[in-house]
Amino acid sequence: MTPPAEPGATGAHTPSHEPTGPSGTPHAARTPEEPTIVSAPPQPFGAEAPSVDCIADSAGGLTFDLDAPGAADAQGAWSAALVLRRRGSEDETEEVRLPLAPDGGGRLRAVLPSTVALAEGRWDVYCACADAEPRRLTPGLADLRSLVDRRPGPSTSPLAVRIPYATKHGNLSVRSWLRAPHAEAGDLLLDATGMTLEGRLYRVADPAAWLGGAVLEARLRRDPGVVRTAPVAPAKAEGADDQDFTCTLPFEELTGAWQGGMDVWDLWLRGADGEETARVARILDDVVDKKQIFAYPAQPVDAAYAPAQAGPYYTADNDLALRVDERPPVAG
Amino acid sequence: MHISFLIHNAYGIGGTIRTTYNLAGTLAEHHDVEIVSVFRHREEPVFAPSPKVRLRHLVDLRKGTPGYEGDDPEYERPATVFPSAEGRYKQYSALTDRRIAAHLRGLDCDVVVGTRPGLNVHIAQQARHGVARVGQEHLTLGTHSAPLKLVLRTQYPRLDAVTTVTEADAATYRKLMRLPGVRVEAVPNSVPAPALPPADGTGKWVVAAGRLAPAKRYDLLIKAFEKVVAERPDWRLRIYGAGAERAKLRALIDKRGLYNHIYLMGPATPLDPEWVKGSIGVVTSSLESFGMTIVEAMRSGLPVVSTDCPHGPGEIIEDGVDGLLVPTGKVDAIAAGLLKLINDDELRRGMGRAALTNSARFDPAEVAGRYEALFTGLASRSGLRGSLHRTRGALLSSALRTSDRSRSALRKAKTA
Repeated sequence: MTPPAEPGATGAHTPSHEPTGPSGTPHAARTPEEPTIVSAPPQPFGAEAPSVDCIADSAGGLTFDLDAPGAADAQGAWSAALVLRRRGSEDETEEVRLPLAPDGGGRLRAVLPSTVALAEGRWDVYCACADAEPRRLTPGLADLRSLVDRRPGPSTSPLAVRIPYATKHGNLSVRSWLRAPHAEAGDLLLDATGMTLEGRLYRVADPAAWLGGAVLEARLRRDPGVVRTAPVAPAKAEGADDQDFTCTLPFEELTGAWQGGMDVWDLWLRGADGEETARVARILDDVVDKKQIFAYPAQPVDAAYAPAQAGPYYTADNDLALRVDERPPVAG
Repeated sequence: MHISFLIHNAYGIGGTIRTTYNLAGTLAEHHDVEIVSVFRHREEPVFAPSPKVRLRHLVDLRKGTPGYEGDDPEYERPATVFPSAEGRYKQYSALTDRRIAAHLRGLDCDVVVGTRPGLNVHIAQQARHGVARVGQEHLTLGTHSAPLKLVLRTQYPRLDAVTTVTEADAATYRKLMRLPGVRVEAVPNSVPAPALPPADGTGKWVVAAGRLAPAKRYDLLIKAFEKVVAERPDWRLRIYGAGAERAKLRALIDKRGLYNHIYLMGPATPLDPEWVKGSIGVVTSSLESFGMTIVEAMRSGLPVVSTDCPHGPGEIIEDGVDGLLVPTGKVDAIAAGLLKLINDDELRRGMGRAALTNSARFDPAEVAGRYEALFTGLASRSGLRGSLHRTRGALLSSALRTSDRSRSALRKAKTA
């Protein structure tokens, strides 16, 4: 067994108060799109929120099972609803109400089918009972195994991804993406000259036609007029089909315009017709926040301005981006 | 029976806390059970105890609350009863000495259970007569410092029972300590059945979980998984946990170009939903006092490939039946063990089913049953026999202390 890692392990008479999370990547503090909207503060002590177990299905649907002692058989249950509200939304109507029904085992169940559209964003989850003020809910067990290595089937309707998660205040929220078309990022291969992206295209009628002649676009975030492109090719790996693609973006394309500081390039696919685009993102699994987990080493690159480094990272929305930055001096 | 647990801090996170809650909750189905926490630093415990278990504290460290005692002058003075050789000595004080003593002298129960060496010493010295005294060892005797071992040698004879989490450690206690009349028993940690259906063994993921600490040897795991990837690039590895080694492990993954195959997931509580996303569990430690994560993975239906390190893994895994034991510290052996299960779907799923069945012996009901039998035996010892045993224990204690002192004096004289 692990030696007990109880709080208070460090220092005399100064027990620490919270377990610490994973340490940040070297760039974490400097990327510009940290979420600025945070969830509501926790309920005051004593107002214990009911806990909810979530089960995800591979089609994008979610089932919520609510421990509500007394509520399952009480009359209030007839009007009970699970309410999802999109965070930061000005529009009061941006709310989804799902009926909560007794599941026969003393709990209440609500179902969010994949066919009910949720706009992209963070949706806070509440329980509304009769006329009482809706209450936030706390996350219980989340069975998200069917989201791991998700491979949705062919369709042209928007791809729905919903991942339930615990906010930093310990409340239940659901992260939603709704995309068509969608370019899912897979393995990223890095060397000193550039990045090769292996990806898979979803939600277009004819993937082979869409990808034939498609390009990867890198758009400079500080100046949207600056765009660099690289050709997209069908993937040659064993088992690949006409949705799979590969693309190599040379770093020198990005370092030419670099004048110090940090440049961020957002990555998109542009289809053969030159009109339709798809954001490159990684959303087809159970990991709600990729940035710290899907981390990649920055590669040293030569730039006219100064020694630089370049490397990919996932944004707070799990979109793929590249950054070019000054190379830190070598220690020693 | 009335059973009282004494624990360092029941409001935090840790293996001892979790396993104490499990045990107390199960015993509380049939007995009157309380958990007494020396410290309380937050309003609510991180893990929720069973509603049938009473939870209270002796020293209040909730900052900004009226009851806060961290500014008590006694809290600044060092402890004299709590042994200075104990790892948590710096957190103990004259105040804890006094509070714990008062608590133990006023005990109104049949059995008192200490959960770490320093608290077991308190119990050995201060528990009221007529109360059976049990000291739990959640780590191992071998990993304690020499000065602490010396303290335990002199104090533990006054206990009625010492429990370890492995047979291997119980054997060490019997060999290295003179504990006449003290029952030394191995009782494993308990792990409840997960509330989720078990893993189905189809996902191409290997899962490891534990603090990112040197003893876990995740560096070996990363190197072993590099060999796995060379043969089976379709399989990937998730490592759950936080810890001081994170930056080093991140650098190792990056240097070897394994960032598409090995992921540092950060901490996850509870772990059950994460185990079931995998098909194989892996442990590469150089030392495991018990091996809680092995049992957790098995209860989720995963076969575990583990190093055969001291003390727990070999007592949990039946090699080749419900998992694989591989030599400690050997990258090639870890990789070969993983590949054996990766390359044989039938073998892997069969072992997963066996793991699910065989790990049922760690169910809290089974483990609590063993404690219950031990406690019942101790509580029914006649008062006379009990006090005779303790008188003898006390005499032995002072005799040992004298001989230990003279030995260290001798050693000092030699080195001088």
